[in-house]
Amino acid sequence: MSAGLAIDAALALVLPVLAWAVVATPDLRKAIVLFMALGLVAALAWARLAAPDIALVEAAIGTGVTGALLMSCVPWAESLTPASRRARADLALAGALAVVACLGWAIRALPEAGPGLTPAVLGALEVSGVEHPVTAVLLNYRSYDTLLEIVVLVAAAIGIDAVLPDDDARRRLAPPARSLVGVLSHLLVPGAVLVAGFLVWKGAHAPGGAFQAGAVLAAGGILLLFARRLRPVPFAARALRGALLAGPLLFLGVAVAPLVRGGRLLELPVAWAGVLILAIETVLVVTIAIVLLMFFPARVLASSRAPAATVEDPP
Amino acid sequence: MTEPAWVAGVVVIPLVGALIAVLAGRRAAPIAVVTAVGAAVAAAALVRQIARDGVVEHAVGGWAAPLGIALRADGLSALFVAAVAVVGTAAIVYALAHPGTPHRFHAAWLLGWAGLAALAVSADAFNLYVALELLTLAGATLVALASEAAALRAALRYILLALAGSLAYLFGVVLLYAAHATLELSALGAAVTPGPVTAVAIAAMVAGLALKSALFPLHGWLPPAYAGAPAASAVVLAGLLGKASFLVLVRLWFEVVPPSLRPDAGLLLGVLGAAGALWGAVLALRQTRLRRLLAYSSVGQLGYLFLVFPLGTGPALAGAVYLVLAHAAAKAALFMAAGSIERACGSDELGALRGLAPRMPLTFLTIGLAGLTLMGLPPSGGFVAKWLLLGASLETGQWWWAIVLVVGGFLAAAYVFRVLRLAFLPAAGAAAIARAPRGAELPALALALVSLGLGLAAAPPLALLGAGP
Repeated sequence: MSAGLAIDAALALVLPVLAWAVVATPDLRKAIVLFMALGLVAALAWARLAAPDIALVEAAIGTGVTGALLMSCVPWAESLTPASRRARADLALAGALAVVACLGWAIRALPEAGPGLTPAVLGALEVSGVEHPVTAVLLNYRSYDTLLEIVVLVAAAIGIDAVLPDDDARRRLAPPARSLVGVLSHLLVPGAVLVAGFLVWKGAHAPGGAFQAGAVLAAGGILLLFARRLRPVPFAARALRGALLAGPLLFLGVAVAPLVRGGRLLELPVAWAGVLILAIETVLVVTIAIVLLMFFPARVLASSRAPAATVEDPP
Repeated sequence: MTEPAWVAGVVVIPLVGALIAVLAGRRAAPIAVVTAVGAAVAAAALVRQIARDGVVEHAVGGWAAPLGIALRADGLSALFVAAVAVVGTAAIVYALAHPGTPHRFHAAWLLGWAGLAALAVSADAFNLYVALELLTLAGATLVALASEAAALRAALRYILLALAGSLAYLFGVVLLYAAHATLELSALGAAVTPGPVTAVAIAAMVAGLALKSALFPLHGWLPPAYAGAPAASAVVLAGLLGKASFLVLVRLWFEVVPPSLRPDAGLLLGVLGAAGALWGAVLALRQTRLRRLLAYSSVGQLGYLFLVFPLGTGPALAGAVYLVLAHAAAKAALFMAAGSIERACGSDELGALRGLAPRMPLTFLTIGLAGLTLMGLPPSGGFVAKWLLLGASLETGQWWWAIVLVVGGFLAAAYVFRVLRLAFLPAAGAAAIARAPRGAELPALALALVSLGLGLAAAPPLALLGAGP
């Protein structure tokens, strides 16, 4: 038995067991830690399936940012009356088994994996402006999807802003500062910025790109927020909205420009495609990082009206 | 010079407007007005282009399907984009005049406008998913703008169920793509063959879209969302966003689902639709608040739409699409009226309506005219729609659907007249009411007249629909 097969078998065994542990664990904090472990194992599984781009996103967003978000909600969730998690776990198991049965039935009937669109994707790579096929799909062949997805993020930002409209609501939800986070932020944040820059630059010819980079940058920002070293800017500040919208507006400008000249929406001139894609991805990193950071209730901890005393809680 | 690509313009204009509206923050209102005018002009141009040339296609990025994303606008796209422009513009006018509209409404609604237009002109199964996601986020935000505990709960339920529906749809898209290596709808339609992959994929997609369309018994999320949202949000949610998933379902059904699967699945959808039509109307009768009454009425009216699946193309499809248009105008007008009444009386309790008609004549004229479409009485657009559906059910020998249409019409008459009767009763006391601003009453009346006009001038829209697949 080859090593690869052994790893695959281990992943296939561990994933469902971890997933069950997540829903069945009565302790909320334990469940979240297990959930993050599940995400990392899932990222490994994606890597084994030769989908490194998805593995990166799963690790950065599905595990890192989501895990931190869940953790930051624990004090609030514990204040609610505990529901019967056990009954829901059984329901989830039944649902999951039904989905697996349907999926299994369908997948057994799928035709042998053909080449799919791979020849077409690779064939047009030369004129796409990038060398990495996934980036070519996301930022050129199907860039319209990505444009709309970025607009979805903008919609999410307004939604978050509507739900957490005032400083009081935010302060109630803010977690207390922890001393360890302060030390960690010193060590990790410069690295996060560096990794984000690397990922977006690398995206042109290898796995990586704006979403992964934005998530890593957001992770650094989350550390700073929790360490209270970042004074979060309220959405009402025009500078924040400007930084958030620079990416979508540039993307939309690139999309509309060819229409004015009688071309197609989002048609990238071959000579400029590489530069335009890199420029769009770079500004989108900021957009993605800001929206992800907005999810954290701690973000307005130190709003302009909050007196210093309530901001600097004893650790 | 070649004609501008209106099919892309109808999406891009509200998109640009939405982003600038977010940037403008509290000063978004004038941007919303300018965007509405621009998007309405683009919609009119697209309608004209399709009426003249038939189906319009646009390969985004210059990449032909299956590598790229195809935009395709047919008669159905044109009619829906036109409905979005008419109702959407009226909603912005109403929002400007209605006191207490949250300033974030304009940005959230323009994002929804862009999502609806993107959905109407997309010919790509995954791109439709992205459009649905945009509508989910914009819709939940529109509800959450009320920022009261009940509205936030409703928004949370809205987003969770809508995401579950989207996920089920995406599940089906992934299976279809794995089997056929294309996402373009007509190419998928040519490739699918009955079998496990198609069955599971279609079942997941239909179930997800049915949940998002509030098909009985999956309608529980709708009434609290429509009743809890701010007045202007409820107008676009009930008028437009609520129909988006149904539109995707129609495309999926008639362009992708293999004909051999249609009869049984169609019967199931028809039965659930009929149950929803009657149950929604019965529950509407039992409500004590006006906006909840209207929300349950929407559950009922959305139920009729699902009769298209057992009845098939031709007059039934025309009838269902016509009901989407007429109901969009009528229900938007009714939610505007309900918002004005709530503002004037401080509550939308039905008891507060007593004696209100002489004091708010325009608003109750609106309710009466828009009510005609709910009841399906001539000369309203709702009558034309129900007439087409009735004809189709008798023509195909499925007379039982006709009973549902007729009984549902009587139930709708009962709840509409309940509201009107209360308003014309003598007032119980001289309760002080705030005057509704004309700017809020007039767009409502205009939309009620549109729903009526759709009945008087049915030929051009129906001819445009013929320019479809």
